[in-house]
Amino acid sequence: MTLNIGIVGCGKIADGHIEEIQKFSCARVVAVCDLEPILAEQLARRYSVPNWYTDFDLMLFKHRLDVIHIATPPHSHLVLARKSAEAGCHVFLEKPLALTAEDGRRLIECFKKAHRKMTINYWYKFEGPSLSLSDFVAKGQLGDPVHFDSFCGYDLAGGFGRAVLADGRHWVHRLPGKLFQNVIDHAIYKITPFLPEEPLEIVARGYRRRPLDDNDTDEVLDELRVMMFCGGVSAYMTFCSHARPVAHFMRAHGTKNTVHLDYTFRTMSIEEKQTVPSGLGRLLPPFKSSWQGLRQATHNAREFAGSHSHYFEGLNRLLSLFYQSILDDTPVPIPYSEILRVSEIIDEISAQVYPAVLA
Amino acid sequence: MKVLVTGAAGFLGTAVVERLLDHGYTDIRCNVRRGGSIPMLGALASRYADARIEYCIGNLKYQDDANRAVDGVQLIFHLAAGKSGAAADLFMDSVVASRNLLDAVGGQKPMRIVLISSFGVYGIAELGRGARVTEQTALEQHPEWRDHYSHSKLRQEQLFWEYQRRNGFELVVLRPGVIYGPGGGHFSNRIGLTIGKWQLNLGGGNLLPLTYVENCAEAVVVAGTHERAAGQVYNVHDDSLPTCREYLRAYKKYVAKVQSISVPYSGLRMLARMLTKYHKYSKGQLPAIFTPYKVATTWGGNHFDNSKLRSIGWRQLVSTDDGLRRSFAAFRAELKSNKTASVAADLTVTTNRKQASEVPTHSIDRQFQERI
Repeated sequence: MTLNIGIVGCGKIADGHIEEIQKFSCARVVAVCDLEPILAEQLARRYSVPNWYTDFDLMLFKHRLDVIHIATPPHSHLVLARKSAEAGCHVFLEKPLALTAEDGRRLIECFKKAHRKMTINYWYKFEGPSLSLSDFVAKGQLGDPVHFDSFCGYDLAGGFGRAVLADGRHWVHRLPGKLFQNVIDHAIYKITPFLPEEPLEIVARGYRRRPLDDNDTDEVLDELRVMMFCGGVSAYMTFCSHARPVAHFMRAHGTKNTVHLDYTFRTMSIEEKQTVPSGLGRLLPPFKSSWQGLRQATHNAREFAGSHSHYFEGLNRLLSLFYQSILDDTPVPIPYSEILRVSEIIDEISAQVYPAVLA
Repeated sequence: MKVLVTGAAGFLGTAVVERLLDHGYTDIRCNVRRGGSIPMLGALASRYADARIEYCIGNLKYQDDANRAVDGVQLIFHLAAGKSGAAADLFMDSVVASRNLLDAVGGQKPMRIVLISSFGVYGIAELGRGARVTEQTALEQHPEWRDHYSHSKLRQEQLFWEYQRRNGFELVVLRPGVIYGPGGGHFSNRIGLTIGKWQLNLGGGNLLPLTYVENCAEAVVVAGTHERAAGQVYNVHDDSLPTCREYLRAYKKYVAKVQSISVPYSGLRMLARMLTKYHKYSKGQLPAIFTPYKVATTWGGNHFDNSKLRSIGWRQLVSTDDGLRRSFAAFRAELKSNKTASVAADLTVTTNRKQASEVPTHSIDRQFQERI
């Protein structure tokens, strides 16, 4: 069976979706849609999609679509998701889930009610290092989780950052958590599956580090630090837009081992222990670290040779699991409870960082 | 007559405003985005005391900003366009912004619009190596095979012709080559690509269709205000052009040492075929920055004809030698100031580190807590 896919929202991220979908033999993009006709037209033309629309209802009416990819700003997620579910479509949703966790809850209810499936683009969790960590934890090699440190670097001078800062009417400014809400899902979802199912205490502080000038919107904070405590496990999440190089990593500390995951280079390394005393104990571990580095390099070379080193490798894996869950009618790759938990954490962070906005 | 210049704070925009003032236009509205370089325009205004330069801050991707920009104008120089970024960004900044501008203009008359298009709109891959490209040359039939910039510029120009047929305003289109000058880019992709510290010289002996920013601005004003230019298209480049190789050699001599590798056209074609095959095989693991089609359109060594522009009275204000001399001097100063800024930043960091090491730890903690 081939899944007929429709995409709504033809901005930059739609390119990533469509490129990954076109790698599957079990799926084909039959239509794209955007309120802005020029954006819908250019996407259809560049990727040889046979149909494009500016009216979402018309697209749903004209085509028998199995899956809708919603790649619009989050303000429209609830409405579009509801219409999709009611039309009998499964949905792959671009993050963040919705404006608030409450909207997110309603959105998920639509799918439960319609017996359709939904998942969200938390693709970093399906990257090689994340899968290695899950495997490591499942085998008990980490021991009991003690602390997680998720670091998300960001470049405000990049295309999206510049667009947000230079345009006071950009949709990001209308999110309760502004820039943070649009970015930190990944950093949070890397941590939450390892936290116990207990109430979470959150302390969040955001601040503005860039100098004041006429070029940007003063309300946007650009640095965020979050501490989380939950059933004896702690976590620290950093959103940092000034440190260079722009890093993207996580450290997981367990009672048996500590591991470092680098999402930029797709590596996972285990912290070395001092197994022999005195000077030798300081001499040998760096050699062992180098050996680990060499093994990681070899692994990455094999991945490259096998054409598994794409930028959106995690998205591809997530899509594969999602489409398979539709075809086989098996559980979705990301449990709804985990999606909602991320959304609730973001609500709490936004409330602490931008209290005036939410009030 | 009130004149609107969109993208007025840009590299070419500022020069166009200056040329308009020099040609005696005194009522100019400058449309600039928030954060645009207004001081440069302000300095210009101070030299023309009798001119009325009005700033209209806004982003043309919003219809209300476009409406404000065109209100009461009879002549529009539309220079605002996306230069880089993802395809969606380029289409938004070039095509959607243009559509809003055209909707704002509606059926207003008299109205003349001067559009700055690009050589990128020509369909030259089919012409063969070294073919002459005139304004009659057919437009690109496969823009999706080109770079996103050329694709968006083609769609932008098509949109203007569609609206012109519908609303009947006067339209003049200029298609410039490589606009250069102080404050501009150092290397056009027609010369080659910069990879890390290396410059791939792909243009070789091809003529580099340069147009010094002041000459280009003069062309925009001359053609844009010429009575017989309505409905016409003009190629814009200077005379006495250097080859890509000559430009690179002069750059190395007068600006900075650059590590470069020359790739002959046949080698480039072969490389493009290999890369395209690998791109397909690996399902896009490496981007297809070279394809035989892109190679033919960018490095095929076409000659662009500017005789039509000269026939309406355009003359080069700054000779190519002089333009290159001024640009290279500016590039050299720019690199030097970047280097100085970098050293200054290093010194600041060192000083801060030194200061930080002298502050007791508990004080750092407190400051950090206060800050967050």
